[in-house]
Amino acid sequence: MTDILTVNGLVKSFDDFVAVNGVSFSIDEGETFGLLGPNGAGKTTSISMISGLLESDGGEVHVAGDRVATSSTKAKAHIGLVPQDLAIYPDLTASENLSFFGRLYGMTGDDLSKRVDQVLEVVGLSERRDDLSKEFSGGMKRRLNIGVGLLHKPRLLILDEPTVGVDPQSRNAILESVEQLSGEGMAVLYTTHYMEEAERLCDRVAIIDEGQIQAEGTRRELVSMVGEKDKVTIAGGGALSSSIPAIEGLAGVTGVSATEQQLDVLAEDASSILPQLLAAVTDAGGSISGVEVFEPNLEAVFLHLTGKALRD
Amino acid sequence: MRAAFQIALKDLRLRIRDRSAVIIGVIAPLVLAFIFNLVFGGAFTPSEGLDISYGIVDEDRGDITVAFSEGFAQSGQFEVSGYNNRADAEQAIEDGTIDAFFHFEPGFTQEVLAGGSPQIAVVGDVDSPTSTQIAASIAEGFSISLRTSTLALTTAAALSGSPITPDFIASVSDPTAALGSFSIADLSADTKQLDPTTYFAAGMAAFFLFFTVQYGVLGLLEEERDGTMARLLAAPISRSAVVSGKAILSFLLGLIATTILIVSTALLMGAEWGHPLGVALLAIAGVLSAVGIMGFVAALAKSPEGAGNLGAIIAVILGMLGGVFFPIGQGDDFLSNLTFITPHAWFMRGLAQLSGDASWTEALPAVGAIMLFAVVTGGAAWTMLSRRMRT
Repeated sequence: MTDILTVNGLVKSFDDFVAVNGVSFSIDEGETFGLLGPNGAGKTTSISMISGLLESDGGEVHVAGDRVATSSTKAKAHIGLVPQDLAIYPDLTASENLSFFGRLYGMTGDDLSKRVDQVLEVVGLSERRDDLSKEFSGGMKRRLNIGVGLLHKPRLLILDEPTVGVDPQSRNAILESVEQLSGEGMAVLYTTHYMEEAERLCDRVAIIDEGQIQAEGTRRELVSMVGEKDKVTIAGGGALSSSIPAIEGLAGVTGVSATEQQLDVLAEDASSILPQLLAAVTDAGGSISGVEVFEPNLEAVFLHLTGKALRD
Repeated sequence: MRAAFQIALKDLRLRIRDRSAVIIGVIAPLVLAFIFNLVFGGAFTPSEGLDISYGIVDEDRGDITVAFSEGFAQSGQFEVSGYNNRADAEQAIEDGTIDAFFHFEPGFTQEVLAGGSPQIAVVGDVDSPTSTQIAASIAEGFSISLRTSTLALTTAAALSGSPITPDFIASVSDPTAALGSFSIADLSADTKQLDPTTYFAAGMAAFFLFFTVQYGVLGLLEEERDGTMARLLAAPISRSAVVSGKAILSFLLGLIATTILIVSTALLMGAEWGHPLGVALLAIAGVLSAVGIMGFVAALAKSPEGAGNLGAIIAVILGMLGGVFFPIGQGDDFLSNLTFITPHAWFMRGLAQLSGDASWTEALPAVGAIMLFAVVTGGAAWTMLSRRMRT
């Protein structure tokens, strides 16, 4: 895998306020990386520096090997930015919006018009291509906003809270689009304060708070980093408790407790041992009427790391 | 530069779709120029003489009043008719034959020579207030001239013991001195004058130009407000391309609007703009100065609304001071000089210099002065806006 984005020691202050303080991470080709943090954590300031909107006070950003600065046109050509606020022209049609920004990225002629058609297809606006974007619903505007960022086939797509204020249906469409894009090899930097989005989309997540990265890794790595375990609850009957010795012998199991009709198992990775777990119960003569798996989420990790909830 | 033109073309499409730029840039000035010309156009025809008829009732028939009548008639600026008595002259006003008359009562000359200050009665048509006011000014000017001259005469006569000769009387009763003190043409004798139609067309074009070019430079603030600036700055283009794009749009809008106004007022209203090359240079310089000034306003403002308000105030002040609605400061040196701190006044002056069959080079001094406004304000605006884009 190749690093598309490397961020090294980014610093930005506004007067006495340090908004970003030594942020470092990298993103591989085809990887979706989440920057998860509450409002005011430093996500948008970091993104502004990564996309070349804002000059940093310290640190470096490289995209596809080119250093990013406010004046660096070469590095910017690799980046597709989807700002948090809608950044489209209401009095231009969907295709005019895309064509205008395409031209700024040096696209012309047939290449441009074909790509506009493709992107309209991706964001589901082909039927409305000639309508002014001010006539669109909020979700459609959001999708067009994302479409503009995709138009020039960037190697790094930066999405800054793209689902804020979007209805559930459009939100789901946006998330599906992002999944599809990363599947096509595009590196995606996704900022959000919605834990569910980060868990669904991101291969790796950095938790940012007060301008600093608090922790970084896959969801599982983050969860284990703070000592949280998966919990499997098996409801049933028969000799549930007789299966305990066998279950304790399974790799990754850290604790088992049983009542007459329920068995609770703590494990490092519940999904990987679930078949053996169920087999151990039935082999011991127990009957199973229901299974529930509780995986500690990033909300719990964030709470553990920062002492506050994500939506604070 | 390619990116700057792309931005300008995008904005041009938006402005045309919005229609407000078309209304402000072309329709409003054209309609106002037409209305102003209709309402005020007859109020002054500076270079072609005044279409005013006066009567003179000379019941004195002395040397002074005869000299006044003859000199007045010979001045060629008015139609002058003589009447034997006041009743006939009043009837002539009633009939619409004359606009006003001067009445010299018997003994006028004798009283003047005796050192007195006899009154010249002026009677005017209530429907011709301007003509009556002009007549009153002439009478007042003539009276002042008589007083100062007779004072000199009596002083000289007393000192030398010489008699008062008819030649001397004729010299002090020359009415052209009084005429000179009121004539509109003479008040600005060092410059040429535009005819009313061209004057109002040019005035409205210059006035609304400042509102029209605003649509370009204010676009910068609108991009910031609407969030699209982030996307422009994230694109692989230089930041100066964004500022340039807005300036190009301002220039294009201003030039297109001014060209349409020049052509349409020439065709529809008969405005005589002068040598095309001279007019083109003045128009380009005028548009550049408007872009510079409005760009400076945009650089000072924090929001499009604030810039719009400030721009409107500045456009109105500069317009009024520059004499786009009516001539400012004629006869008043201070006001007259003050007008030239505006590009509007130079624009109007440049067009006046082009009137008649003048060469295009006659406009060059005005073009130079207007370009000075453009360079100073445009340079400041560029510096401030570029700095703003970096932060």
